[in-house]
Amino acid sequence: MFLSAFFLFLHHTEAQESFDSLKVKTPKHYFKTIMVLDAYRKPNQEIPDTVNPLSKKLKSYGVNQFYFSLITPLATFERPTYDSTQPKKNTHLLLTANYMSLQPVFDGIKQHNLVKAGMGLRLIVNTGKKGLWFIDAAPFVTRDVTYSSSRHNVRLASTIVYSHNTSARFNWRIGITKSFMWGNRYYLPFIGVRFGRLDKTNLSIQFPRSMSLNIPVNQKLVLSIYTKPQGGMYNFSNHDSLTGGERTFHFTRYEINSGFRGDVRVNAWFNFYFALGLSTKNNITFYAEKTNKDRPNAPYRHFFYNQTLAPTGFFNAGLVFKFGNTKSYYKDKNMYDAMDLNNTMGTGDDNISNGNAQIPVDAKKLKKQDLNLRSVQDLVDYNDF
Amino acid sequence: MILFFFPAASLAQADRDKVELLRMNFIEKKLELTKNESEKFWPVYNEYNDKVKALRKNLRQSFKKAPENLNDKEAEDLHQLDLKTRQAEVDLHKTYSEKIKGIIGVKKLIRLRNAEEEFKREIINSIKEKSD
Repeated sequence: MFLSAFFLFLHHTEAQESFDSLKVKTPKHYFKTIMVLDAYRKPNQEIPDTVNPLSKKLKSYGVNQFYFSLITPLATFERPTYDSTQPKKNTHLLLTANYMSLQPVFDGIKQHNLVKAGMGLRLIVNTGKKGLWFIDAAPFVTRDVTYSSSRHNVRLASTIVYSHNTSARFNWRIGITKSFMWGNRYYLPFIGVRFGRLDKTNLSIQFPRSMSLNIPVNQKLVLSIYTKPQGGMYNFSNHDSLTGGERTFHFTRYEINSGFRGDVRVNAWFNFYFALGLSTKNNITFYAEKTNKDRPNAPYRHFFYNQTLAPTGFFNAGLVFKFGNTKSYYKDKNMYDAMDLNNTMGTGDDNISNGNAQIPVDAKKLKKQDLNLRSVQDLVDYNDF
Repeated sequence: MILFFFPAASLAQADRDKVELLRMNFIEKKLELTKNESEKFWPVYNEYNDKVKALRKNLRQSFKKAPENLNDKEAEDLHQLDLKTRQAEVDLHKTYSEKIKGIIGVKKLIRLRNAEEEFKREIINSIKEKSD
């Protein structure tokens, strides 16, 4: 055993030397740099409450949301495995950045533009056996940019998850997440299961983030039926005097979106998606800072306005740009899972999936149109004919 | 508008991915790997393929870049690069064959070689059919 490992080490060194002497560039990372532009719209609906003076003042509620995110690999650590009986481990450090502009549309007051922006770090550890660790820290700032006098808040969303691939067809995840997407500061358990392979039809239930049935139609189109929460805590300027004594208060919203989504994989560098469905449990709440100050790490408790509106339709669409060449990970179920964790978790606690296009949909048949010089040049030599 | 920014090369990359995926499927089917073998085999095999592809791409590009009327030194450099690339490929093959043998055993290693050749033959036949 020791001797075979030693000889393998010698072979490895020799091969690596001759490879290195040619100064050939190979990709450093497994993850591409991914940029997402996302737009979300929910039509205005009247606030039915006729008793509360704030409801009368606000009149209606709708949402226009624009989101931009970037994920880029910073470093990939991979220990060379001289002993092939040991699994290949790797660790990935990624930088995440996000910017969200949320425009809650209240007909009774001037349009506000609530911004949430942040930059965070993400660590994915592939143990090489069956498990992966996913650690995400996403600090962000929220501010109402409509009025310069409004105060900002710095918050931190974070997630730590252990993901276990029992097989390529079954995965479970367990962890904890500090998240604001349910309209308040919550510390929630993360529990997930997936039935089915990631490159084929699969059912994924990831509490508290999403539940989806993903159906690849072909290599270019993946359809999904899904339900997920969407929301957050934002700073809202009190310019309209909705509460007394504070310049800025906290506006929170959450909704449960259920619908259909189509992901179109145009090519290796670009895909887009569209989704429509029903937005239910439409909740908005206003919290004053003063009354919640005494419990700095707990969910906000004292609100001065709370309203849950009737279900309404929504529309969501996004463009996804992918840059950079990566190392190959075909059939590597742990790396597929790492991609899934990275792609579906979104950035900055915004719960927006980029479509998981880094996991190739399982190909069925070789078609003549797939064959061109570039697609076969590494496989076939002219001597082979 | 967006497609305009993504030239044919990116479409070819998608085709290449598909062919590569089909090749891996073909190999997977032929090798009949156990769960344990599969866990260890694919990362190593992918690493090997990445290195071989990088070598071939480097050689291809060097030949492509070379001027039509090479002087003696340029020709010699290119010739040396060709030899070194072939040697590096052999060295990689030797190393990774040993690694893979340690994972799947020598019988399946032979099956792997046969599967690679068989898939290559399928591709060649398809190309021939396409050109007919």
